[in-house]
Amino acid sequence: MLKRKMIKNFSWPLKIATQEIEITRLYPEKMMELPAAERGIHELDATICIGCGTCARICPNSCIEMVHYKFGSPLKNKKMQFPQIDFGRCMFCGLCVDECPVECLKMGKKVIMAGWERKDIVKGPDFLATKKFSAKEVADLEAEAKRIAAEKAAAKKAADAKKAAVAKKPGKEGEAAANGAAKKKAAAAEAKPKEGGAA
Amino acid sequence: MTTASEVLSSIQSAFPGAVIDSRVESDLRLWATIDSKKILDVCKHLSSKHSFDHYSGSAGVDWIARNEMEVVEIMASHGTHKVVAMLKVKTPRENPSVKSLTGLYWNASWYEREIWEMLGINFEGHPELYPLLLSDGLIGAWPWRKDFKGYPDLTTGERAVEITTPDGYTEYRFPPTPAEVEAGTVVVERPKYPTFQEREEMAITSDSEMIMHLGPQHAMVPGPFLLDVLVEGERVKKAFLDLGYIHKGIEKIMENRSWLQGITYTDRMCYVAALSNNECYCGAIENILGLEVPQRAQYIRVIVEELSRIQSHLIGTGEFLTLIAGVGFAPWQYMIMDREKIISLIESVTGARLTHSFVRFGGVRNDLPEGFAEQCKKVLPYMKSRTEEFIELFAQDPIYHARMENIGSISPETGKRMGCSGPVLRATGVAYDMRKEDPILVYPDLDFKVITGTRGDSADRIDVRLREILESIHIIEQCLDRIPSGPIKPEAKVPKKLPAGEAYYRVEDPRGEMGMYVISDGGANPYRVKVRGPFYATFQTLTPLLEGTYIADAVAIAGSMDGCPSESDR
Repeated sequence: MLKRKMIKNFSWPLKIATQEIEITRLYPEKMMELPAAERGIHELDATICIGCGTCARICPNSCIEMVHYKFGSPLKNKKMQFPQIDFGRCMFCGLCVDECPVECLKMGKKVIMAGWERKDIVKGPDFLATKKFSAKEVADLEAEAKRIAAEKAAAKKAADAKKAAVAKKPGKEGEAAANGAAKKKAAAAEAKPKEGGAA
Repeated sequence: MTTASEVLSSIQSAFPGAVIDSRVESDLRLWATIDSKKILDVCKHLSSKHSFDHYSGSAGVDWIARNEMEVVEIMASHGTHKVVAMLKVKTPRENPSVKSLTGLYWNASWYEREIWEMLGINFEGHPELYPLLLSDGLIGAWPWRKDFKGYPDLTTGERAVEITTPDGYTEYRFPPTPAEVEAGTVVVERPKYPTFQEREEMAITSDSEMIMHLGPQHAMVPGPFLLDVLVEGERVKKAFLDLGYIHKGIEKIMENRSWLQGITYTDRMCYVAALSNNECYCGAIENILGLEVPQRAQYIRVIVEELSRIQSHLIGTGEFLTLIAGVGFAPWQYMIMDREKIISLIESVTGARLTHSFVRFGGVRNDLPEGFAEQCKKVLPYMKSRTEEFIELFAQDPIYHARMENIGSISPETGKRMGCSGPVLRATGVAYDMRKEDPILVYPDLDFKVITGTRGDSADRIDVRLREILESIHIIEQCLDRIPSGPIKPEAKVPKKLPAGEAYYRVEDPRGEMGMYVISDGGANPYRVKVRGPFYATFQTLTPLLEGTYIADAVAIAGSMDGCPSESDR
């Protein structure tokens, strides 16, 4: 039954055994090389996140929760809400990354996330953020936000007062004044994103 | 060349008044609502006059707003023509019942059993309407009906009542909640049928026979399923198959998720064929939306799906052949090392190794990375030479021959009748490939052969898979040469809500014909997603194939099907 040709079936594995070098990687001492497209642990750019919560809504496993975090931009993210990810549930599908309107969430090459307890693998914005503001920058930005808010409030107050005045004395002058107030408001709104960008 | 409108007019002229409603979507798709009294006659007419010899499956839909249920029979032909007829039969929601097609198509059995246990639609004339995927306790709850409130609910643990049985064992019972009683989802009257064990014991006729368990955990098919064989000596007299050990209810889950989130669930039906599952789901939704996929995205999809086919065939063959030891070597370690190279290629594009979630509605997630073509040009010739070596090594291996050749042979006629597809059917010599049947993506422009075998035995199935790897390499090489530059996503944003409509889309999975029937009611979630998996159909053929064989051959027969119970359980 055994044929001479069959010798190859014995020799072939021996041949391969001498050729192949890398059989098993000694993980974690030796990590494999990951491609640029790798979907690993998320990376958050806290300086541009607007806290819209789109990532939390699209997540099929609802593993993203929006939590408070200090070192973001108060100009863009008024309530300072940033994503916190439960990696115990995350399946790395990348839908949150695709849906992010400002592209602040990305997936990187970091893949080690083990912990001793369940809560250890719930990673907050502090762990995820690769870019964030320092405390001083945040204080400056907060002051800026306060100034803008105050300006806005003042503009609104003025507009209200003028409106009240217009209501008292209806006429062409009043209308013109009201238009002026509206223009001012629009100008303030335009100025806001520019400041944010500079920051 | 038969077209859908011809088929429709033929039905209308043969059975006046039988077609209640119809829609000819294209030359290849016919949607028709048939009078429930005449469905059997219409199917008989189609199979005899228009060679609709392939019963592809059926789907049950619960239209709760219209107070009716629908069974959609999916009919196709094995290569005579390319029309797929979707015949709908309506039945009232109270005591739903339609005629069974098991007398006409042998393989209708499992599809009808599934619809019965999930939706409670009775099939008149079905010989063995027993549960298939669900456990006996859930029969009568009809979990896929739209008014099903869930089981077990969150309070199950609190409601558990501890009971000591007369034998001294402790059992837990769960009394229904008031809400369940009100909703009517409680099993009030359980249908009467023998359990799996009783059915097995009924088949025993003499003392010389015994039942042997292969599974639920057995290496021949990765994934849990129960195969019990009734043996007399070394011969298998009858085989019993029980599924449902990993039933995930993905079709039901997808009804509660948004359209986009559904992609991630298709990955998990069969993780070695995640890309073709993605493609199938996204293709169906593109049909509903009427989206045109950019050329570059189509090429990228073809490239990654063919790569996925190669790695699926490698792991399927390698894993199975560890059980069929050859002379001097078992190919598992060599195939898994080669597969690593293919997986790395896929990973460099998709960013994930198994569950890719890569295909998007009207495009793909990522573009090909820089240097992908060069990387492919290194790996593919290597793969080609290795696969050729494997084919040569198997060809001269006497142990491999003795265990595989003429074992579990299927004739072309049996293969067609049993409804199997993919390499299992192609090994019998029937050239039935969705890439040729349905003109999807850029496959019509590419030059490739449909690989077929001659004997239809276990050795042929492996041979077909290995030669398909070579053909896939040929396809990828063509794609890399031709791929144009351009966008990979549609220009307009895909809406969150889809227009109302339905679509049936087929792709060639590594295991065979994969179809998805998607219904949208205009909402943000799918109304119904039916997955016609390839291995579900192939699995059904296992029990008749095993009859009369030796126990030792059961492994060769079941393993050479390249199974994935995860996908058949969904």
